[in-house]
Amino acid sequence: MNIQLISKRRFQTTLFYLAVILFLIVVLLPIYYIFLTAFAPSGKLFTVPLTYVPRSLATARFQDIFGALPIARYMLNSTLLATFSTILALTVSLLAAYAIARLNFPGANMVMIGLLASSMLPGTATVIPLFQMFQTLKLMDTLHGLLILYGSALLPITTWVLVSFLRQVPVEIEDAAKVDGASFFQLLWRIVLPVIRPGVATMFLINFIIGWNEFFTPLIFARGAGVKVITMALSEAQVIGARSEFDVSWGNMSAVAILTTIPVFIITLIFQRQIVEGITSGVFK
Amino acid sequence: MFGQQNLSTRRILLAWLLVTPVVLWRLLTSVYPFLRTFYISFFDNSPVRRTFDFVGLDNYMALTRDANVDATLTFTLFFTVTSVALQVVLGLAIAELLNQRFKMRNFARAVNLLPWAMAPIVIATAARWIFHQDYGLINDIIWRISGERPLWLVNFTTARFAVTITDVWKNTAFLAVIFLSGLQGIPLELYEAAKIDGADGARSYWYITLPLLMPLIISMIIFTAIFRVLTFEIVYALTNGGPGTATSLLSYLVYLEGFRVLNFGYASAIAMLLFFIVLIVGVLGYGFLRRAWERL
Repeated sequence: MNIQLISKRRFQTTLFYLAVILFLIVVLLPIYYIFLTAFAPSGKLFTVPLTYVPRSLATARFQDIFGALPIARYMLNSTLLATFSTILALTVSLLAAYAIARLNFPGANMVMIGLLASSMLPGTATVIPLFQMFQTLKLMDTLHGLLILYGSALLPITTWVLVSFLRQVPVEIEDAAKVDGASFFQLLWRIVLPVIRPGVATMFLINFIIGWNEFFTPLIFARGAGVKVITMALSEAQVIGARSEFDVSWGNMSAVAILTTIPVFIITLIFQRQIVEGITSGVFK
Repeated sequence: MFGQQNLSTRRILLAWLLVTPVVLWRLLTSVYPFLRTFYISFFDNSPVRRTFDFVGLDNYMALTRDANVDATLTFTLFFTVTSVALQVVLGLAIAELLNQRFKMRNFARAVNLLPWAMAPIVIATAARWIFHQDYGLINDIIWRISGERPLWLVNFTTARFAVTITDVWKNTAFLAVIFLSGLQGIPLELYEAAKIDGADGARSYWYITLPLLMPLIISMIIFTAIFRVLTFEIVYALTNGGPGTATSLLSYLVYLEGFRVLNFGYASAIAMLLFFIVLIVGVLGYGFLRRAWERL
């Protein structure tokens, strides 16, 4: 009697797995293709039809780009900017979030809404005056100048998420510490920080990824080789050894794409759970 | 009593002291530059010609006559509507997929995050290679199936779809994560009750899942739409706004006008137009969101 039902079930399961496989292919195949392009031996790059399973891989392109561009310097700059903008933004956001979540002061809501509203101001609607300010203040082409802008972009969301984390933990422990006569910074460092460590760690990871991936800000404010970042090397790598405007080195571009992507992939795969928690806590709470 | 008063004043002082760095940082790097952009938009300001002359509404009048602005607004509308619709539908589908129990679920959830983690500029630059006419991944697949090799980035319509597809590939993951989390928040009892009442999967999705997710879906539509209007990297690296101005977006126009042509006054007027559109999307969306909450 149930043959029909069973075959319907089987059909649905097959359909489901087909959907999963399609999803995985759509996401992974382009990434794999860039990987192939980066490691394809020169001469094997332009083939019709494409070879999806390569016979050999070559690392020559990585040697080429490291030879032609200060890639190590770019990656160092990206790391420094992403790390320190994250630390700075987290520090000042934590102070503000503590005041907003715990100190119950007039204007707390205004600060929260003001931060949210200011995050809606498009970067392109602030960039020209910032450019002029940076020229006047001699902040162009400096890492600390970039740090100011990288950090600024992180503040609204970071503060919002930390407030939501703080509101979820009970105040009682802090009250007990206050009774014991702990100073304000002792309280923050020894009591509050350990309790909301998951929130801080999550925002650290997400902010680091945002900083690492930044492109528009350095495009405008970092023009010297000493302060350029890895995302800017993509277009530079395309023209290494180019003979004309239309001679684009897709292999070199792909090699830089791989270098830019590996760090964020490692972070994402290791801390998948924390990152998802961070993304959703910004929306739901 | 006076002690109490003092304590309260001290608390408020401390609170303001603590929020000052964040507030000041944002005022100096976001609010003030924004107001200044508004101010500059009334001037003929060019660092090349060394001008800073008040011209009233001239820049805004020029906006209405600029064919590039026209083309940009057309594509902005196409891109925003198409991309948001695809992202929401696919995001819901992927969330549903990742919410089922199956062997590779954790792997699939991790894979879903990869496009989210990648830099927009990396995806945009790589997409130019992936859409390459002769050696690109997409045309290889299309060629194997149909024997054709479409000229993606040369034709008007296909270039617009190339930008949209690239954007959807990168950003759907984010929506899927949010919707998945929304799905996990729906109590299972509701589905069990529906099952007893004889509702099948499709029906319970239509009558339970969608209505409960609706406020979330609407707020995500607003959020996603605003960020589509602000998109820069994909157009900058994939198409340069071309062919012609077929895929030009406002942020890209501000960049061209401000940092290639070095026409700060006019670029500021375009930036204000961009802000105005974002504001309208936000306000309209907020209205919809409130109605959706009231219905729930």
